[in-house]
Amino acid sequence: MSQIEAQAEPDSASVLACLEADLTEEGRYGHRKVELTEQDVRVFDSAGTVLLTLPLTDIADARNEPLVSGGRLIVDTKSGEEITVCSYSLRHSTEFSDMARAIEHLAKEGEFLGQPPRAKIRCEKCNELLPEKDGVCPRCLNRGRTMLRIGKFLKPYKKQAILLALGSSFATLINMIPPAIQGRILDNFNLGDKNTQFLFTMVGAWAFTLAIAAVMQIVNGRMNTYLGSHIASDLRKETYAAIERLHLAYFDRKPVGAIASRVTQDTDRVWFFLVDGVPFFLVHGLMLIAVTVILFKINWLLALAILTPIPLVALISMWAWKPISNLFFRVSQKMARVHMHLNESLMGIRVVKAFAKEDDEYNKFQIRSEELRQAHTRADRTWYTAYGMMTFCVAMGTAVHWTVGGWMLYTGKLTFGNFYIIHAYLGMVYGPLQWFAQVNNWFSRAMAGAERIFEILDMTPEPQAGSGKVIEVKGDVSFDGVRFGYDKSNPVINGVSFDVKAGEMIGLVGHSGAGKSTTINLVSRFYEPDLGRILIDGIDYRDLDLHSYRQQIGIVLQDPFLFHGTIAENISYGKPGATMEEIMVAAKAANAHNFIVAKVDGYDTVVGERGARLSGGEKQRISIARAILHNPRILILDEATSSVDVETEKEIQEAIQRLVSGRTTFAIAHRLSTLRKADRLIVMERGKIVEQGTHEELMNQKGVFHDLVQTQSAVNEIIGIGSK
Amino acid sequence: MITDIEVFYQPEGRLRMTMGDRSYVEVKPAWAAPLSQTGKYLVLLDGKDREIILITDPTKELKPETWSLLQNELQRRYLSVKIDKILNTKTIFGSTYWTVMTERGERDFVTQSLQENAQWLGPEHLLVIDVDGNRFELPDINALDEESKNHLFMTV
Repeated sequence: MSQIEAQAEPDSASVLACLEADLTEEGRYGHRKVELTEQDVRVFDSAGTVLLTLPLTDIADARNEPLVSGGRLIVDTKSGEEITVCSYSLRHSTEFSDMARAIEHLAKEGEFLGQPPRAKIRCEKCNELLPEKDGVCPRCLNRGRTMLRIGKFLKPYKKQAILLALGSSFATLINMIPPAIQGRILDNFNLGDKNTQFLFTMVGAWAFTLAIAAVMQIVNGRMNTYLGSHIASDLRKETYAAIERLHLAYFDRKPVGAIASRVTQDTDRVWFFLVDGVPFFLVHGLMLIAVTVILFKINWLLALAILTPIPLVALISMWAWKPISNLFFRVSQKMARVHMHLNESLMGIRVVKAFAKEDDEYNKFQIRSEELRQAHTRADRTWYTAYGMMTFCVAMGTAVHWTVGGWMLYTGKLTFGNFYIIHAYLGMVYGPLQWFAQVNNWFSRAMAGAERIFEILDMTPEPQAGSGKVIEVKGDVSFDGVRFGYDKSNPVINGVSFDVKAGEMIGLVGHSGAGKSTTINLVSRFYEPDLGRILIDGIDYRDLDLHSYRQQIGIVLQDPFLFHGTIAENISYGKPGATMEEIMVAAKAANAHNFIVAKVDGYDTVVGERGARLSGGEKQRISIARAILHNPRILILDEATSSVDVETEKEIQEAIQRLVSGRTTFAIAHRLSTLRKADRLIVMERGKIVEQGTHEELMNQKGVFHDLVQTQSAVNEIIGIGSK
Repeated sequence: MITDIEVFYQPEGRLRMTMGDRSYVEVKPAWAAPLSQTGKYLVLLDGKDREIILITDPTKELKPETWSLLQNELQRRYLSVKIDKILNTKTIFGSTYWTVMTERGERDFVTQSLQENAQWLGPEHLLVIDVDGNRFELPDINALDEESKNHLFMTV
């Protein structure tokens, strides 16, 4: 600790930035405060004792070193020491990356960049951790507000929703009439009145009620379907549109399956709750109230007695539902694992057979199947236990009715008709009661689904059409001190500057991980720089209309993506409405025409999902034809010829030469010899440009590029020898 | 026993190494398979992340003082933790809140989409990844106490 002096009290220099780390020097969880002042960097422990003071005048540079599940803030001193300022988990690594930059800038330039943004990681209200930094706290979430927001999806169908609510209430009341009629008939018979006219009139009324109930059921069912399908469709459309407009960085963080589930599962949960959950609660809630009123009206004492087990049923239902739903969630997880294994082993059946691994795969499947069986057994066992207890309580209600009601009947305190009516209504109360706890579950799931949907709807999308200048791109591209990292604490492009003239072809060269693909991702504006600017024809591209800019960019990737559709549809993807002649001209220029017309269905050949029915070379030429027809001003070729054989590569190279002519082109190629025709090569290493020049100039320089070419030539030679 | 490896910090904070007649100004130890082969297959990388040497069983193959220094560096580099006890879990709106006791002390964290972020590395070996990407390992769920098992069973 030559440069570090532990102090009891810090001096009074004003604090510019302050962050908290969550690991101690021994690697245990704890609190450390790091302060950046005008004079030094200080670290305090949780008691406020200064553990470390580093004068800014001693600091040469500062950085965040990414570690497994965390990082550490490191300062290199001018005397050559490497000092760990503090360690932290991934919860804080982005903030400390910014802090490192702030320290270094202040030490070197004497200028403070500003307090690194401190993300909110705990809820201010309940102090619970937030699932997403600066996000909403699910615990303190205003369910009412979320409900209102969900309800807005009903707005376009207000009339139908009101009609459904009224229809459902009416149907509930209608369904309560038959037991009353049956009771009247029995009472009449009991009184010795053998008037069959009365019986037929009552039966007629009963039949009429049944007919109305049936009509209501049909009308309500249809209305329910109408509302359900429309709301589900609206929700899906809106969620899908929002997802499509999100920045690409979002798609890097989330697995495709998780994103897809927002469009399918989460929207399903919301509409299911709106269309099934809410009516269930309303109808049965209404029925419970109506029946209770009627029961009390008939005989308050009996009503009180037979409703005694209701709280018990409700309690069991509430007590059992949470574990049961957890157990069934577990079943669905195990089922997903079985599905995943099934999909994987069936899709990879050739590999399985080629390695004679059928038995191993069977064993794995057996284990997963057994796990599923166990989960099922446990869930069903718990379910039947809870269900049995509830059935017992329901039966107790009936038993109480037969005991108390029977006694009243025997002692003449209750008519036979009323005894029957109460018996019929009991089923109406106890039946749905078992499911009332489920409404809470529906509600929670719908709220969770809704929150996940709203989270996407509320995210800042990419700038939309009309949000910037629309220009006809000439093709001048400049990087001006660009810094970028997918994880901001770990930049993969660091201070890159270069200028490209319109129509120039630039080859990007370097080892994997050097930053080549990131550079073209930035040119495509899939991501934007964290620092610095990218200029297109002298204008910062963030000021340009994104939609119009992207329309003037063409991309040919290593693994070209084709959509399920015909070859013609795929070629014209970037120019919908292109004529067949235009499509064919593009296909010819891409050396694709001949193999296309040789197919039975020619341009109408369906390529299959992701172009599965075509070879790699065929897909590549179609993607080149697509780019040619799109006629971009800036063209990006990312390893466009790396996955094809030599013969096909020759054809693709020819096609590419036609494509690049007159356009600004950025090309990455594994085989360095394919970049000979580039006007200039930019050699990158660890996110920085290390060399620039023509192929010849760089070879003469005998630097990094020369070494790369030599290595590749040696490898090719070895392969050549091997193949002889 | 590999006797020609010498590791030391010079300058302070930077691990250096000599192996035979070669010297490496920056060395990083890394586990080749930290989850499935705990304690085995240690790789020593140079400043450009290129392998210098692979040591199959460092406890047996390295001199105690060398191993001790590398262990110290490994401890600093691997901030992932092992869970000893699950004190509490609760799931609210699809987010699961955990309070656990680890070898580094008590910790609370949040996970989402447990289907993806609770990975079974073996029948009893579980890896839980929180919303920030921090890794929490349960090497043997059978070794947990009953309360922890119950929390885990109701969550994962």
